[in-house]
Amino acid sequence: MSSVGDATTALTEELAARNDMIVCQGVSKWFGDFQALDSISAVIKEREVVVVLGPSGSGKSTWIRCINRLEVHQEGRIVIDGVELTNDLRNIEKIRSEVGMVFQQFNLFPHLTVLDNVTLAPIWVRKKPKREAEEIARSLLERVGIPEQAEKYPGQLSGGQQQRVAIARALAMEPRIMLFDEPTSALDPEMIKEVLDVMKELARSGMTMMVVTHEMGFAREVADRVIFMEEGQLVETGTPEHFFTNPTEDRTKLFLSQIL
Amino acid sequence: MSNTDKATLAATQSRRPPLYRDATVLKWLAQVAALSLVVFALYFLVTQAQSNLAKKGIATGFDFLSAPLGSDLSSGIDTDPDTSGRALWVGMVNTIRLSIGGIIVATVLGVVVGVGRLSSNWIVKRISSVFVETLRNIPLLVQIILIFVVISTLPRVEINQGPIPGWLHISNKGVSVPRVFISDGFYQWLIVVAIGAALGWLVMRRRSRLHDATGRDTYPVASFVAVTAAFAAVGWFVHPVFGWVGNVFDGLASGIGALTEQTVQILLSVAALLVAVLWIRRFLAQHRSPAGRAKLSDDDWFRVIFAGVVAVLVAIFVNIGWPGLSSWIINSGRDLFEVLGDKFGDGRTGQPIDAKRPDIEQPGNFPNYGPAGLNLTQGLAAVYFGVVFYTAAFIAEIVRAGILSVPKGQTEAAQAVGLRRLTMLRRVILPQAFRVILPPLGNQYLNLTKNTSLAIAIGYSDLVQVGETIYNQTGKTVEVVSIWMLFYLTCSLTISVVVNFFNVRLKIVER
Amino acid sequence: MAEMRPVDIAAASPASQTAEEAVSLPPEQPSTPPREWIRQNLFSTPFNSALTVVFGLLVLLTARGLLNFTFSEEREWDAVRTNLRLLFTHAYPEEQYVRIWVCVGTIAVLAGLSVGLAATTARGVSVKRLSSGLMALGAVVALGVVLREPSALSNADGSVRRNDSGVIRESFAEAMVDRWGWWLAAALLATAGAALWFRFGDERRRSTFVPSVELFMGVTAIVVLSAWVYPWGHYAFTDGEFIAEPGRTVAMSTKLPWTVMWLLLAVALAAGRRLRQAGAGSNFTLALNLCWLACPFVLYWVVLRDPDLDWDRVLSVDIPLGVLFAAGGAAVLWLLTDQRIGELGRIIAALLLGLAAFNWVAAFWGWYPMLQKVRLSFLLVALAALLAHNFAGDRSKRLRLLTVWAVVMAVFHYMATLMNSPSSVETPTEAFVGGFGVTLVVAAFTLLLSFPLGVMLALARTSKLPIFRVMSTSFIEVIRGVPLITVLIFFTIILNLFLPDGMEISVLASAVLGYTLFSAAYLAENVRGGLQSIRRGQFEASDAVGLTALQRTIFIVLPQSLRVSIPPLVGQAIATFKETSLLAVIGLFDVLRMANNVIPAQTEFLGVKREGLLFVCGVYWIFAYSMSKRSQRLEKQLGVGER
Repeated sequence: MSSVGDATTALTEELAARNDMIVCQGVSKWFGDFQALDSISAVIKEREVVVVLGPSGSGKSTWIRCINRLEVHQEGRIVIDGVELTNDLRNIEKIRSEVGMVFQQFNLFPHLTVLDNVTLAPIWVRKKPKREAEEIARSLLERVGIPEQAEKYPGQLSGGQQQRVAIARALAMEPRIMLFDEPTSALDPEMIKEVLDVMKELARSGMTMMVVTHEMGFAREVADRVIFMEEGQLVETGTPEHFFTNPTEDRTKLFLSQIL
Repeated sequence: MSNTDKATLAATQSRRPPLYRDATVLKWLAQVAALSLVVFALYFLVTQAQSNLAKKGIATGFDFLSAPLGSDLSSGIDTDPDTSGRALWVGMVNTIRLSIGGIIVATVLGVVVGVGRLSSNWIVKRISSVFVETLRNIPLLVQIILIFVVISTLPRVEINQGPIPGWLHISNKGVSVPRVFISDGFYQWLIVVAIGAALGWLVMRRRSRLHDATGRDTYPVASFVAVTAAFAAVGWFVHPVFGWVGNVFDGLASGIGALTEQTVQILLSVAALLVAVLWIRRFLAQHRSPAGRAKLSDDDWFRVIFAGVVAVLVAIFVNIGWPGLSSWIINSGRDLFEVLGDKFGDGRTGQPIDAKRPDIEQPGNFPNYGPAGLNLTQGLAAVYFGVVFYTAAFIAEIVRAGILSVPKGQTEAAQAVGLRRLTMLRRVILPQAFRVILPPLGNQYLNLTKNTSLAIAIGYSDLVQVGETIYNQTGKTVEVVSIWMLFYLTCSLTISVVVNFFNVRLKIVER
Repeated sequence: MAEMRPVDIAAASPASQTAEEAVSLPPEQPSTPPREWIRQNLFSTPFNSALTVVFGLLVLLTARGLLNFTFSEEREWDAVRTNLRLLFTHAYPEEQYVRIWVCVGTIAVLAGLSVGLAATTARGVSVKRLSSGLMALGAVVALGVVLREPSALSNADGSVRRNDSGVIRESFAEAMVDRWGWWLAAALLATAGAALWFRFGDERRRSTFVPSVELFMGVTAIVVLSAWVYPWGHYAFTDGEFIAEPGRTVAMSTKLPWTVMWLLLAVALAAGRRLRQAGAGSNFTLALNLCWLACPFVLYWVVLRDPDLDWDRVLSVDIPLGVLFAAGGAAVLWLLTDQRIGELGRIIAALLLGLAAFNWVAAFWGWYPMLQKVRLSFLLVALAALLAHNFAGDRSKRLRLLTVWAVVMAVFHYMATLMNSPSSVETPTEAFVGGFGVTLVVAAFTLLLSFPLGVMLALARTSKLPIFRVMSTSFIEVIRGVPLITVLIFFTIILNLFLPDGMEISVLASAVLGYTLFSAAYLAENVRGGLQSIRRGQFEASDAVGLTALQRTIFIVLPQSLRVSIPPLVGQAIATFKETSLLAVIGLFDVLRMANNVIPAQTEFLGVKREGLLFVCGVYWIFAYSMSKRSQRLEKQLGVGER
């Protein structure tokens, strides 16, 4: 926790009172020779929205995937809502059903209808009765704005609609944390907004969110905190105002000058 | 680090989950359990077989290979072998000859038919597709038996009977055609040709570099052929100078024969351990960060341990479990080099390759084909033509699909840059089609080789048929079947290695 | 839309399956005038013209040779005609023959229902193709009449008249007049074709399609009807007696069953269509598919074999055992699908599995006796317990699981009881049916058994667990590296050596086992192709929503990969079907052995082989060709392999 903006002491205090949702301590990961994560330490509190920024290949996606154990970290500790990610099957199961994930490429199941996509996990993982799962699914589809597409197949939907189905699918598991791995990068420009709107609504509802994205507007508007990463290291952390207007690190300044 | 997350970390202290919940442990437990189940089942079956055989009074082992065989073979390099081992060898040679001859003709026929299916001529197109659709939808065995029966019902052999007397004879005894065969000194000559080919290859490389550098026509391929041909021609007369190669092989044979069993056992165990050590070293090197720290997960540790345990088990097995293996290796290695020493040996000064025309003899009441020509007996002709036609139908489909797989745009692009038709075919179309054709073609070659085993149904003495004769006489079914499997696996491996070699080459060419 | 390729959309969307009525069929290519067509396709260049002449002559010569061979006076087609029953079913007893018809009828009903229920996407045959086909057929018949050499003259006793130079034949003109029946047939075909051709205009000819199913039913109806009307002749070989009565209609014992079969097919077809229109849901299709799965077992063990049940034993041992395992297993499953049980469930399941495994170990060393089916049931209970947590859920889902378990146990114990009972049908060989029947039996069982095995091998080979991968790969590569015949010989001759005392395995069973393992290795490679086509994101998404590995495989991976590998799987099925001809080599009386060994040994037809073998070729060809055509259509529908 190298630098927390001094202008936000009040917020820090308020955050300190909340529960820790994600705690990372010295998390490192290698792919062969290449070190993708270099002792990352960070804490994300309940109801906090954190945006992770950084150039491509900086390890943002790897980090977020480690939190869902799609990748296995090799050093350090990750604790999600009081449960540590280890080889323990019970912990993995618990974390998988508490952490929802949205992918860049949507990864919907193409052979299932939208409704089946959303109800599959609640029925077979959460062990919900089918009818109840379908009711929840329909209300979630309504929440993401596509109630009329329930019987269609993913291939018949537009990219933006597919991504919203993917969000509904993740929400159907009633997660306490949502991870977004570049949710808008594969979308045509005119569809980005509809997905971002859903995400903003989700953030306002108090969901703990960790978002890897290149959408600076979203980061400014919604994020409680912005984390900047480069070469597997956590470079700078701060509120959006601090980060975009008055970054302390040179690397952050360089990055911002390239994209803004 | 703030107080709260320290507290969180402290609250979750369990570093190591209990074994029954540890994903890695369970994963490896399941695998080792499955493996030991398989090993146990195999062990059980083998002991069961041993006790059953002992009850029937049949001894196991490969001694029968040197025991005499009570019957003749229908055809081959030696139709009256003195031992079972020799008979199996004749069967193997028959299978290999059948396969190689079949592969060559089937490829030619398949390519012709495959191109025919794409012809603009309606009749040619129709004939080709009828050929393919008929042959590949009838089981090969039925075709072979039908051909066999049809040949057996042909007219009897008679002196001066055609279709082309002296060149081609067809009768109920099969087909007889001129024969080209390896004669004395072939192997020495082969050495000369190989040297020529190596030199030719060097010349070809130099010439194609010259072509790249200057742009002049240097005919690299033609010069390769020319150099090789020149060596082959000269070698025809001077090959006896390589008689000393035989002595080298003889020396190797006596060297291997001088090895003791202990030496071989030690060598084998060292080899097993060495392989394991090298593998582990490479594995560790791959999982090491530049800083030099090994990043091994539990999973990786299990792999390393498993590799080590397997190597040790192999070493123990070689030394204690199966000591006969090393004497077998010594004996067969010595035999192999003795045979090579004989083939390459001194005193073989005749011409390397010879040819003879078929003839018909009448020693007693009935005329028959003489030994001069290449006689395809009914059985051989049936298997050969059956396998060739059947495989050709499949190859035709592969060739057709391969040519169709080259997009039209490629032809158009080649025409647009002004390539001549031949250059376009050679440089643009064929390399791309070849890349698609080659892997399934290799599969078909493999299938052809395996399909020659259907000779068993009509009594042509290929490996399987000879093996059947032997186990009917001796009851050594398990041994014979294991020889079959080893032989065919070796063939499959050889073919896939060759195909893979060309596959890789083609990919580089394409790039 | 980077995620979805158009292929997936077409394959995944139900629209392509349900809306087929609305799809207007595109017309076929307009026809070129005959003169233009000949110029383009036969004489476009001098080289092409030469090819046409050379190959045209070749075709005519070959056709002449084939015709003369087939219709030669020396051919003894009676050998095939009288032995049809032998070729198809071997020596199944005459008085029990109705069992064979029950089997055929069952398959006809199932096929009719399936075809009726399936949404047809194939557009069938256009009127243009139909009529030109009829005309071409007429022309071919006429050509054949001219090409065939004049028939031989016969003596009063029916034998062929000969002189020194060979058979005496009638003159060409006489032959042409004598073959008036064939001329008539040719003229009828050509006229029918021409009538069709000219009744429709060019546009309608190309855009009107006759559905394949109706066409098939129509043609078969004509064939079946002709059995009642046309004197095909009566040929049979019953009780060693040779019957050949040309000039009368087919025997009642042939034409009546076939008529019934046709009617059954037609009724089932109509019923299937009615059901589809009434909106019979996927449940009905599922039931039908289950019937298809059960069909080989029931038909072979129950209908054909007619087991002679020992009722005392059934009531005292078999039924109680079945009930015990159904109830006991259900209780275990109920306990283990409770959500609160957690890891304790897995520990219980592992203990059960250990117990089941111990049962087998004990069997090997003969520690305590136990019925094999009890050991198997134990193993099934343990496996079900191990997998149970994947299927946990609310009360209704758990109850459904128990029902499935009860049904599985009932079927398992029922089949075990039947298999252990001796057959009451007396046949000379152990395989009950011989001839083409045994071919179908072996092919059906091989496909049924090798499919799950192949899928498991493919999953193991693509798995992340190294030992499973190595074991599966070595098995697959060894099997693929050796010829089928060596595998079959291994299983039919050597397998009994490896079995414990008192356990024997019949030739048929070991042959099926050999075929199954062989075909599974090839199937596994096809399935692996499908598995590799699944993108990594699908695995990640199913992990992220928390599906277990088994759930991921069942719900996500297999449905997608099997769809991709359907065409190669059908190809493998055809290959298996053709490979059944090897049954003749390992001593089973299949259709090839009938033609090659059994018929030529009959005193009436000593040494007559070629006719029978040609017939076998024909039978195999019709089956394999129609299957491969069907699979090509399927491939097009799925859009696989199109660039």
